[in-house]
Amino acid sequence: MEKKVMNLMRKGALTCGENMSIREVAQIMVVNGARYCVVTNGNHQVRGIISARSILRAFGKDLDQIMAKEILLPYTIAVTPNSSLKEAVDLMSRKKIEHVIVVSDQPGNKAVFGLLHIEDIVTDMAKD
Amino acid sequence: MLRVCDLMHKGVNCCYPEETVKSVAKTIQASQFRSVVVVHQSGEVWGLISILDLVRHHGEDLEQLSAEDIMRPYMIDVDPQWPVERAIDIMRKRKIEHLIIIDPHAGPKRPIGILTTFDIIRHMSQIKTGTYEQMLRVYDGTSISSAP
Repeated sequence: MEKKVMNLMRKGALTCGENMSIREVAQIMVVNGARYCVVTNGNHQVRGIISARSILRAFGKDLDQIMAKEILLPYTIAVTPNSSLKEAVDLMSRKKIEHVIVVSDQPGNKAVFGLLHIEDIVTDMAKD
Repeated sequence: MLRVCDLMHKGVNCCYPEETVKSVAKTIQASQFRSVVVVHQSGEVWGLISILDLVRHHGEDLEQLSAEDIMRPYMIDVDPQWPVERAIDIMRKRKIEHLIIIDPHAGPKRPIGILTTFDIIRHMSQIKTGTYEQMLRVYDGTSISSAP
């Protein structure tokens, strides 16, 4: 049977507000040992994701002056728990991203449901 | 001036070119590193397999693929004495997250460590090293007065 995103995804995600400074976002990531941070707006709707590589672009600038919404990778492609895993893995390699945001498949609801981590796919590959 | 050796972490995760991709996946999974350096028997760097390179082969027969088939040949020699800005420029231009650090004193193409984007972000976040240890000393001990 074909594997689905829901077989490997983790529920919940690390989030930050879109008006937070990059310094705060970096601190959230370092303290939690995560390489991503999902950006949400006031209504908890997904705006995008910040990866370690996007923060690197701001190196040397004033990190307290740059907002999360200025550097985020916008969320455009909806992956739901029922999407096929192959589709999600293709998306990762095409966009060179290590985390895919999973949203609920209910219409109109764009709150974060969970996240598909690249480490979990590697764990699946390493299984005998 | 901040140098590469101030931020990099020492030691690398290694494998030989003839190892199967399955064993590379197991190495990455067990070590929590996100890359594996492919080294020749002599110890010279041949290539790098990042977690993204590995995931591209999800669903294929991993026992039939060798590390040499999926690695990216590694041509950049990053010296530990380089300024960090120079290393970051390479990361941005090539869209990579890991740089193998090669020490010319250790021998030709001998890897001594890796610089990742996360190492740089730890520096950018300005969280001082040792903060957690201090917090642990405050909260786990019998005597709070021993806290610094």
